[in-house]
Amino acid sequence: MKPSLDAYVMLSAALFAIGFLGVLVRRNTLVIYMCLELMLVAATLALVAFSRFNGTEDGDVFVFFILTVAAAEVAVGLAIIVALFRARRTVEVDRLDSMRH
Amino acid sequence: MTPLNTALFVLIAPLASAALITLFLGRRGEIASAVSVITAALVACGAFSLAFGGARFNAAWEWLRFGSFAVSIGFKFDDLAALMLSVVGVIGLCVHVYSLGYMSDDAGKARYFGGLSIFMFSMIGIVLADNLFMMFIFWDLVGFSSYFLINHWRERKSASDAAKKAFVVNRVGDFGFLLGIILCYRVNGTVSLSALGADHAVYSRLVPLLLFCGAVGKSAQLPLQVWLPDAMEGPTPVSALIHAATMVAAGIYMLCRINVLMVPQAQDVIAWVGTLTSLYAALCAVTQRDIKKVLAYSTLSQLGYMVAAFGMGSVGAAMFHLTTHAFFKALLFLGAGSVILGCHHEQDIFRMGGLRGRMPVTFWTFTVAVAAIVGLPGLAGFFSKDAILVLAFESNRAVFAVLAFTAILTAFYMLRLWKIVFLGAPQGEPARHAHEGSISLTAPLVLLAALSAVGGYWRAYPKAFEGVFSQIPEAEGATHVIVLVTSIIVLAVGAGTALAFYAVDGRDTLEGKSRSVFGLLVALRTSFDTAYDYYVAEVQQRTAMVLNFLDVVGLAGIVVRGLAGATEFVGFGVRALHTGRLNNYVYWFLGGVVVLWAYAAGIL
Repeated sequence: MKPSLDAYVMLSAALFAIGFLGVLVRRNTLVIYMCLELMLVAATLALVAFSRFNGTEDGDVFVFFILTVAAAEVAVGLAIIVALFRARRTVEVDRLDSMRH
Repeated sequence: MTPLNTALFVLIAPLASAALITLFLGRRGEIASAVSVITAALVACGAFSLAFGGARFNAAWEWLRFGSFAVSIGFKFDDLAALMLSVVGVIGLCVHVYSLGYMSDDAGKARYFGGLSIFMFSMIGIVLADNLFMMFIFWDLVGFSSYFLINHWRERKSASDAAKKAFVVNRVGDFGFLLGIILCYRVNGTVSLSALGADHAVYSRLVPLLLFCGAVGKSAQLPLQVWLPDAMEGPTPVSALIHAATMVAAGIYMLCRINVLMVPQAQDVIAWVGTLTSLYAALCAVTQRDIKKVLAYSTLSQLGYMVAAFGMGSVGAAMFHLTTHAFFKALLFLGAGSVILGCHHEQDIFRMGGLRGRMPVTFWTFTVAVAAIVGLPGLAGFFSKDAILVLAFESNRAVFAVLAFTAILTAFYMLRLWKIVFLGAPQGEPARHAHEGSISLTAPLVLLAALSAVGGYWRAYPKAFEGVFSQIPEAEGATHVIVLVTSIIVLAVGAGTALAFYAVDGRDTLEGKSRSVFGLLVALRTSFDTAYDYYVAEVQQRTAMVLNFLDVVGLAGIVVRGLAGATEFVGFGVRALHTGRLNNYVYWFLGGVVVLWAYAAGIL
């Protein structure tokens, strides 16, 4: 049986919610980062599903751009996290509060 | 050197000396004093070569230009300036040399001599100035220098208070002076002394009166005379300099400079201010116990004579008295300094006495000075005072009567001082061990005594001062006899009363016998200070408090704090949001998303 569009959108929404919850509650920068990626993937999934069910290529084009940009973003983001760890010997966001008033 | 270069040198040398001392010789008192004294000697030489060289010139350079208004600096060197410059040179040199002895063991010697140099610089600037703005600049420099020197012993509160008082009281007069300069520019379109002229429009009669305010402050006339007696807190040579050649003379000199602006109405006011000051100060001097304060009030009184002479229209008589007064008043102060030093800083005349034998040079020179100031025929003061009395007799009999009465008082308090300090038996331990000072103390005394003795024969002066002295009024016939007889009678009455009254040593007979008169005179002396105290402490202070309240509540509280307070309040709230925790920011992000969603959905 072929899944309906609703199922795709529900899955996408669930993935996004899991990602967002992770960003909210987790303390480790690396995990937060992975959760962010999860949210991005959820959005991508929704776009692909819409594209498939509408029979157009619009969403697919978006996805290609997102993938490219996400790859670049991962490279930069991970580099920042590594540099942060070198400087502070920690990646726990609770302890990264030097910007406080 | 051309005369112009000499004038420039005379002006700049003291400034250079002061700068050198301040910058490099702060801890080298000996070298500093040598530099300052040598400068004073050079200035005196320069002044004489200028005055007697015969060159008279005007020179001006533009300094600042604002649109059509230009401020220039320049020299106006005429007979008047030549006379004043010579007086400043001579008295300045005497005071410098005297200070070598007087201040020899003072810790702040370098500072003191630096101050003397800057004082000379300021005064010479006034003398040479060719326009009122330049004069005003140096005028204020004189005020600053006197503040600096009166405040020399700054660890004493009385000295710093006196310096502040001198400065503040002078500011009051200076304000009028400045207004006068501005109005003068408005009326004449120029402030150059050579281009001024009297204007008889109604409001331009204010010009000489406003300019006179400056002289009232600097020359300590009523009602701004209060600073001068207090200024006795400075070292005695400074008092001599202030009283003889620089500060108070500046006011008289300035008046003579702006003589062309005078209108009869203003002159009447000036003559009466001078006359009343003269009388008031003489009355105050009678009750003083402090040797320097007696002399201070006597200066006030003599300045009143000069101002009155000027008010009655004679620059010659005013400047003549200024010149002779400079000699004998400098001598009196330096003599008093010698006495004070000899008596180990005792200033109460009733604890002195019998100094004639112990301090012969001081005694004889002081005697010459006293004889000169009371107008003993043949000495300097006699001729100059006579000139003023002749002038008064011819132009204003009321002024003449007051001035003649003042002359009685002058003879009275000067003879009282002389008798109590030098004759009789010593009244205190310091007086018993008094001794004459070193040569640097006595040499200026002898020089000044010679000048006080012969300074009145103005016809014997070189032709250099002809322009001023030719204006001295001369009496003929009956007037001459009347004035001469009057002045001899007042001298005899004043001197005789004093000698008879103070025949008993060590006691203020006036205070003992005529308590009511004495009390009245003391009340008169303190009346101005009391009135000013009341004004400052009550009226001004209350007004200031009300204004301050309005300022704090109205301006600072509502207008200024209103803006700042609101900003601060918002900042205080927003600061709490700035936690530095990533998760908190995500919640805010979530909140923002919800709001945007609500807006997009049309709920908001």
